[in-house]
Amino acid sequence: MTPPLDLSRRQFLTAASLTAGAALLAGCAPGTASGSPTQTLQFWHLLSGGDGVTMSQLLDGVNKAQSAYRIRPTVLAWGTPYYTKLAMAGAGGRAPDVAIMHATRVPGWAPGGLLDDWDLDRLAELGVDESTFPEPIWKKGIVGGKRFSIALDAHPFVLMYNTDICDAAGELDSDGQLKKTSSPEEFLDQLRAVGGSAKGHALSYGYLGDGAQMWRLFYGLYAQHGLAIELPAGRQMGIDKDAAVETLAFMKTLLDGEIAAAQNDYGTAVAEFATGKSGMLMTGVWELRTMQNAKLPFDATMIPTLYGTPAAYADSHSFVLPHQAHADEHRRDLTYRFVSDMLKGSFGWAEAGHIPAYLPVTESPDYAKLLPQAHYADAAQHVVYDPEAWFTGSGSNFQGEFGAAVQGVLLSGDDPGAAIDRFIRRVNTLLAQPNPADPEGKWK
Amino acid sequence: MTTTASTRAVVTGRKSSDPFRPAGPRRREQLVSWAFLAPFLIAFALFLVWPILHGIYLSFTDQSLTGAGGDLVGFANYAEALSDPVMWQSLWNTVWFTLLSTVPLVALSLIMAALVDRGLPGQWLWRLSFFMPYLLASTVISQIWVWIFNPQIGAANNILKALGLQPLAWLQNPDTNMLSIVIATVWWTVGFNFLLYLAAMQNIPPQQYEAASLDGAGAWRQFWSITLPQLGPATVLILILQILASLKLFDQAYQMLGGVASDTTRSIVQYIFESGFVNYRFGYSAAISYVFFALIIIIGVAQALVTRRRKVQ
Repeated sequence: MTPPLDLSRRQFLTAASLTAGAALLAGCAPGTASGSPTQTLQFWHLLSGGDGVTMSQLLDGVNKAQSAYRIRPTVLAWGTPYYTKLAMAGAGGRAPDVAIMHATRVPGWAPGGLLDDWDLDRLAELGVDESTFPEPIWKKGIVGGKRFSIALDAHPFVLMYNTDICDAAGELDSDGQLKKTSSPEEFLDQLRAVGGSAKGHALSYGYLGDGAQMWRLFYGLYAQHGLAIELPAGRQMGIDKDAAVETLAFMKTLLDGEIAAAQNDYGTAVAEFATGKSGMLMTGVWELRTMQNAKLPFDATMIPTLYGTPAAYADSHSFVLPHQAHADEHRRDLTYRFVSDMLKGSFGWAEAGHIPAYLPVTESPDYAKLLPQAHYADAAQHVVYDPEAWFTGSGSNFQGEFGAAVQGVLLSGDDPGAAIDRFIRRVNTLLAQPNPADPEGKWK
Repeated sequence: MTTTASTRAVVTGRKSSDPFRPAGPRRREQLVSWAFLAPFLIAFALFLVWPILHGIYLSFTDQSLTGAGGDLVGFANYAEALSDPVMWQSLWNTVWFTLLSTVPLVALSLIMAALVDRGLPGQWLWRLSFFMPYLLASTVISQIWVWIFNPQIGAANNILKALGLQPLAWLQNPDTNMLSIVIATVWWTVGFNFLLYLAAMQNIPPQQYEAASLDGAGAWRQFWSITLPQLGPATVLILILQILASLKLFDQAYQMLGGVASDTTRSIVQYIFESGFVNYRFGYSAAISYVFFALIIIIGVAQALVTRRRKVQ
């Protein structure tokens, strides 16, 4: 009788290592091939925390509603880590079927062939076209005449206010909403009034060590002058220095220790407002859930138009098609369908605070009843994105560079003109560098 | 003698440096030893030698992380790096951090080790609590110190206020942020040097102290004349390890400042990371790496010269 497994120790070790090696290689094999009834689509995104929970609910919804495809999400850490991995996947031609990108990052990526463009006819068949998006949001997804991203939302920088405190200060109008202000002086007066009835500061605004926070407020107010910063590749930054200095000086006025704390970081500012100590908070709409969970009596509105032109600094989570070397047509079809399903189901996304980009959702009667979201929905018509260049956008170095240049002004009253000069110099250095996705400038 | 050897060579048919060993098993032994070395050698070649060579090649191209580029551009990246003020500032920041952190990390660990070795009761408790922070991940210590340095509610400012001093924006003010990172780093890693010093002190034979006290030497005298001189080799080791560790400055600074590009704290490693992984310029990033590499070689050679002189003396 031979024993069932007649192997010497060596043979056994050889066999075991071969098996392990084969298993390892099998792990690298691509996913399910086309043809099986339910296709699994790979979807990468960078939403965690409250946004991540809402996104999973939406994905569960679209998965249950049909059986043609199943979404398999991969969540990666927000910012640089996410974009690095997505870029490498696209560069290797084995990217996920669909991914979320900030609309502001798309212009840097499109020229390098990291993204495939969307077919407008296929989208139109599914009821997704120019007429179903606010104009500035629709336009943002076009680079070099081609459509590279479809916005899920706009998430502007807004003003949240504590209705109890503002009411006590007499700053609410008959609808119970914050009285409109239309100049820096009016807004400062309003803030001083609110400060009188708040336990803490009138306004919470966290900026320390957070270039994005400084940039969001600055660029929104700068754009209210009816201006935009121009970043032409290989040339010099186009900026109205007087307007920039005026805006920065106004921001410093807010941080006088009375209206708002002179030194606050993002987390502390959110906490100050969420615990009902301050009257107002300048923040992104993504903090809405935080305030609702804190059971705070609050409402939200666009940042008041202080310099004439309504403008809301924002970015958009957008669907993109990372480049696939061998895209499967059937899977692409399903990807289009998935994006259309998500847009149509984006009412749930509004609950996380974001303004859905798909107009049939925001124009629905249900949305008008969704408060406070409906009170800042007009921001979608006035969104202002980062100026276009390969190095700008959410999670890029550009906003950090801005923060490094101007923090001294906000923190210790350095000269705003010198800070803007420093920012211009640094950005001009970046403008002189080639777009790494297209170093020879061959694209277009 | 020569005859024996040559006879032997004729008999076995091969020349051998060790004529008394049979040929077969020796060859086999060599094979076995290479087989045992293979896992390390493969990993070494794959993850160290190859990246170093490939990195040198990359530094002469305009390769991008996005897959674009890749053409040879000669010394353009090096020329750009050497004329890039941000590169020089980052390099200086790294050197400055190394100077600021190495001195307290060596001096404090020596004092702590001396106290624990000679004076304080409950040795195990001190040993444990001095070493414990070293066991924490850099992410954890970064979070702890971000809270301690919080300008509104942080412990550091509470202490300042209790002393009647003005609160500081520790991590945000460009005048104090490097110092804050040094403080956090010292707290984090001093335990390792402390342990090395403590081990070295406990290796000093107790008879020497006994003899010294019989000769009437007090604690200070003993420390200066017995302990310190015998810590020489340990100090050299600690210094080398510490300088190399400090030059690697990246994770705690990056995490504590939330990735803000602060001109006063951006280390050269962070600039390499930003160039390669945020701005996707692999070629440029590789070129900066080799500029940094040159600095490390200079330090290495200087340190080798110093230790050789010590040995000669």
